[in-house]
Amino acid sequence: MIFFNVIRVVAWKDLLCEMRSRETISSMFFFALIVILVFSFSFSMDQQAARELIAGILWVAFAFTGIIGLGKSFSAELQNDCLEYLQMSPAPKGAIYLGKVAANLLFIVTAEVILFPMFVIFFNLDVVEDLPVLLLIFFLATLGLSTVGTLFSAMTVQIRAREVMLPILLLPLAVPVMIAAVEATRGALNGNPLALYRHWIELLVVFDVVFTVVSFWVVELILDS
Amino acid sequence: MVAIRGLHISKSYGHYRILEDLSFEIAAGECYALFGPNGAGKTTLLRILATLHRPSAGRLEILGRDAIQEREVVREALLLLAHGSHLYDELNAVENLSFAMALRAASPTDREVKVALDQVGIGAFAELKVRYFSAGMKKRLAMAKAILAHPKVLLLDEPYTSLDETGMVIMNRYIQALLKEGASVVMATHDRIKSAEVADRAGVLTHGVLRPLTREDLKTCDLF
Repeated sequence: MIFFNVIRVVAWKDLLCEMRSRETISSMFFFALIVILVFSFSFSMDQQAARELIAGILWVAFAFTGIIGLGKSFSAELQNDCLEYLQMSPAPKGAIYLGKVAANLLFIVTAEVILFPMFVIFFNLDVVEDLPVLLLIFFLATLGLSTVGTLFSAMTVQIRAREVMLPILLLPLAVPVMIAAVEATRGALNGNPLALYRHWIELLVVFDVVFTVVSFWVVELILDS
Repeated sequence: MVAIRGLHISKSYGHYRILEDLSFEIAAGECYALFGPNGAGKTTLLRILATLHRPSAGRLEILGRDAIQEREVVREALLLLAHGSHLYDELNAVENLSFAMALRAASPTDREVKVALDQVGIGAFAELKVRYFSAGMKKRLAMAKAILAHPKVLLLDEPYTSLDETGMVIMNRYIQALLKEGASVVMATHDRIKSAEVADRAGVLTHGVLRPLTREDLKTCDLF
């Protein structure tokens, strides 16, 4: 019960701080908006060409937008030495980590929910039929990015060049998520039968489970060292 | 009863030896004041006691538990009020207290929170975001956190810094009340006068070595 309460209060605290400061979400939003605009003006595509390329463009925007948010997840705790309080509190470190994952997931999904309709408009996509499966892919891939990204955010928080180190560490490990997310999104946008790209969604589920469990155990060592 | 027992504790950062074979005991209900020049290792020692740093060598027991092997259990009884306020600027005073207590599995009532804020003299600012607080107000809010946490071992790093005269009186009143409950207090400070009001024993840390001080020593000018 205490464990779940810690998850809840950590997520609540991160969301409340972000809702009031709007530092992270605004920089995430404007970065993604620039990506959309640059790509939409660079490629004048018909709908078929868009469906082939859009999945990659979409995940470039989502991944780098996510990294902005993930980078601030633990570095925000450096203000007033709050990280020190988290470290010496008797609260399970795994619960603190999961609370942060939940908050990051919500930030990035919120950004995606705002940005995806812009993609649809700028690239003239017809996604009504595939929307439920697309949302599932977005959720699973974002969860994967959040679990690994939050772990590396904790790992790099004490490093001076953490803004540089986070993407360097995160992106190679997130390659399976990115490939699976792009392939599954492409399959859904092309209107392919689910059976043709279901294995990519299954890969996302496996990645999420494995990395949530591993990160949960590893984060204790990171926050205590 | 011994609340804190350090045996041959040493701490090094690379080639720099900060603490050298320290052995000490602090009883339950006792307040120990730690003096020393800047860079003597006072904060390092407090951080070791707070389980934030591990000693390079030696053994540390807090409330009869191994503070290195059983950190999670020991942390339930500990609280460190450090240089950093451990407060979130975007949360108000009440929200900060609620969050801090939730991490300690404590759920004080609204009334208890109000009483604690009134006790440290910032009850009127309960709904104000901490970003608008002065350093002294942040210190008082951190004190309110300690009041609600009921620690058995309270570690204070420069407890009087930033506090006005009233704040210092409130701090000492709180320390005395805590000592009466049987808790132990260790404070690293430069304020001999204020700390002498509450400290039962004192020591000076120089070149990594801890030397006990008498009350007479505290009155001399050349302490280090």
